[in-house]
Formats: sequence, C-alpha cells, structure tokens
Amino acid sequence: MRLTAFLSMAAKAAFPHDYRFGTNRPWTIAAKRMNPPGKKRRKVFVEPIPYDEWSVFRGDTVEILSGKDKGKQGKVTQVFRHRNWVILEGLNTHFRYIGKSANYRGTYIASEAPLLLRDISLIDPTDRKPTEVEWRFTEEGEKVRVSVRTGRIVPKPVVQRRDGIIPQQWKDGPKDTSPEDTLEKTYMPSLKTLEEEVMEKLGIEEPRRNQKSYWY
Amino acid sequence: MAATSAGRVLTLCRQFQNACRISTTLSAQQSTVTLTKGRSYPHRLPSTLLSSSWSCNLDLAVQCRPLHTTISRRGLEEFFDIPENWGEATVKSGAPWTAKQLRTKSNEDLHKLWYVLLKEKNMLLTIEQESKRQGQQMPSPERLKKIDRSIRRLDTVVKERENALRLLQTGQERARPGDWRKDVFGRIYWYRFREHALPWYMNRRYKRKRFYTPAFVAPHLRLRLEKYLRAKTRKQKKESENQAVLKEKFPQMQAKSQ
Repeated sequence: MRLTAFLSMAAKAAFPHDYRFGTNRPWTIAAKRMNPPGKKRRKVFVEPIPYDEWSVFRGDTVEILSGKDKGKQGKVTQVFRHRNWVILEGLNTHFRYIGKSANYRGTYIASEAPLLLRDISLIDPTDRKPTEVEWRFTEEGEKVRVSVRTGRIVPKPVVQRRDGIIPQQWKDGPKDTSPEDTLEKTYMPSLKTLEEEVMEKLGIEEPRRNQKSYWY
Repeated sequence: MAATSAGRVLTLCRQFQNACRISTTLSAQQSTVTLTKGRSYPHRLPSTLLSSSWSCNLDLAVQCRPLHTTISRRGLEEFFDIPENWGEATVKSGAPWTAKQLRTKSNEDLHKLWYVLLKEKNMLLTIEQESKRQGQQMPSPERLKKIDRSIRRLDTVVKERENALRLLQTGQERARPGDWRKDVFGRIYWYRFREHALPWYMNRRYKRKRFYTPAFVAPHLRLRLEKYLRAKTRKQKKESENQAVLKEKFPQMQAKSQ
C-alpha cells in the first residue's frame, strides 16, 4: 500500500509553492528554461476566484474591455486558471520571430498575449453586448450561466474533444461494451461477500479453515 | 473421442460435474483426454469453447487441486493485439468504466470484468515493452491509462461493498486491525497489525520492539515541539500577510479566503 502511494505521489506533478506559471505547459523545455529549479522571482498576486464561480471556458466568445484590441470579440482558445488568464484567437497579438538559427532570421509570426479575466467579459447571446454573468439554477436543477442584464442563459460552448471523438458519431469497437450492456443493472444486494458469491456460482467448496493466527 | 498420450492430460465435462484431475506430479498416465474440438495437445492445456470452471472431486484418491481458468481462444497470441491493429499508428478505444456504472453490476460480473481488464492490461504492457524494444512509439498509449482507471474504480467499488458488509455485521471500520502507538521518537502513529503464527509473548523479535518513548528523549521532544510551533506561526503569519496584500490589490472580490 505504501508502494502504491509512493508511486502515485511520483506520478502527480509537484510544483514548488512559489512556482510562476507561464503560457508554456510546465513539462515543456521552454517552461523548464524559464523556471529552473533554484530560481526565485517576484511573487505574482492572483485574484482568488472560487472553483464554482469560474464562468469563462474554452470556446466561449468574449469581448475585450481594455487594452490594444479594446471592443473586439474573439473565441477563447486557452484558459489558465492559476493566473486568471485567457488567450483569445488572433487578438491581443504581438509579433516575434520563431525558428531563428545562425543564418536565418526566422519566421515572423503573430503570437497572442494572455488577457486577465478582469479585462474580459462574456457576451449576451441576444444583443451581443458584454454583460456580467451569474451562476444560477434552472428548474431542472441544472447550473447555468445567466446574464444579469437581460436574464438570458449563456449556453456552454460546444468544443471538439482533444482526442477528436464526436460522441454522436461514435461506433463501438470489438472490445467496447455496448451502452445497453453497460447500463444494465445486475446487482442484487445480499449479505454475501464477493468471494462467497463467486465461490457459490463456480461451485467451489472450501471445507478447509484457517489455522489459528495472531494479529499484533 | 479419447486420445491416450504420455504427459499431462486432462478431463473436462461440465454438464455432468465430473472431476478435473490435475496431477501435481508430471508423470500422469492415468487420465484420458476428451475434447470437443477434436484436437489433442498432449503437452498443453486444450482450448475449448466450453465452460471455464472445473471443480475438484475430493473423493478421488489422486492428489488434486481446483483450477479455474478463463477460456484462452488464441493461446499466447492473447498477449498481443488483434491482427487488424498491427502496424496502425492509433487504435480506437472507448471510454473507461466509471464507478457509477460499476456499482450497478453484480459481484459475478465484476469478478469476470476484473480478469478481462487484467488480460487487456497485460496485452497493452506487452505492446508497450515491445515498442520500447523496437525503439518506436506505442500506438494509443492512453488505453493503458483508461484500463488503469477502470481497474482502480472496480477495486474501489469492491472495497466499498466489503466495507459496508463488514460495518453492518461487525461494526469494524477497518479490514485490517491496527492501533495507535507511540514509537521511540515520541511520535504517535497508526501501527498496522501483522499476522503471526505465535502469540506476542512468545515472539522474541516482537518483544524487542519498543512502543514507548524512553525518558532521555524528552529534550528532543521539547525541541521538536518548538520547531513545529515556530513553523506553524510562520505559516499563519505569511498567510495573513498574503491575505492583507490580496485585500489591498483586489478590494472587492474576497470570496475565497484561502
């Protein structure tokens, strides 16, 4: 048991308490270059937003309220919760060269800079203007985002899964269990342990009893 | 169809609940082979389409022990993927089992599913090792993660059921007995009991273990306590300073004070 606990600890990524999260994923070389093990940088203070109150998701259309591209609307491509960042597609860009080598000056591309949540606002689907959004419950009990100004529900964006699977078009493979079989209820509660039930079903009779042992 | 041959041979007949005699010694000339498929493998276990359970009849004079196996249709090839998937870069696989779905299944189904998942895991591990040996990428490594998660969830569900039954019948919260004990360094920890053949007063090694703190450890305990209190105060102070700075920077939104 201790071995599995140790292995699971190793599997989970451990960051120092003052790790500065950037736009690069922590396991990439660029992130490791920016955050070598012994470095100390000035602490960034991130406004604490509770997990349940987070309202911006990948695929949402939002409007920028301040900055270079003020007033423009764009789709969210990446969300960084630990720094309250949001990256929009093609907006708030600066230009840089990538793939530079000794002789070649590199490709000139536009790269997006992250925007804080304060400078972002979700859009009301009716009039397509920025609004404040609250989390409320529908009559069915579903938690939805509701625009404060008009009261219209802001639907959750439909984003394609990262593995490219479209649930409506899924066809089961030879090793997959069909949905009917998966949802079929076969459990009958009884006062038998799994071992006893299985032994009964397979017709195993175990007349031997354990020798007396001491637990201490 | 009987075939007599030297070496290990087996008898199987589920409907009549006959015995399966697996002699533990290799010199077996007694039993005969009855196979439904008509092939005989004198030195291997036959693969049949019949049941998966044989029971041992203790009335027989021969030394025997019960054996329960799954049907192995392709033999050793079950360690590898189906031939259609050979050479593919990605292999399609469905979602892992969730604990909610597993809780609706009976114990027998869970028992069977465990071995299905185990065999699949063995297959994927073989593929992984083989691709490492050949210096190539394993096709769809996320299948291993899915299988791992399914296995863990199955284990959780089985443990839940066991826990519930034990609590109901005995009131014991833990499956394995234990106790809160103090070690030589004055730390209180949960000591998990182990199974022994002898009682504790006859076990010399156990009697040498000290579950108390000697008197000369007291100064160390005081120092450790001081260290712990200092660290706690430091942490609390840092936390309150952090909160003060956050309040100053973001005056309106202070819902989650953590």
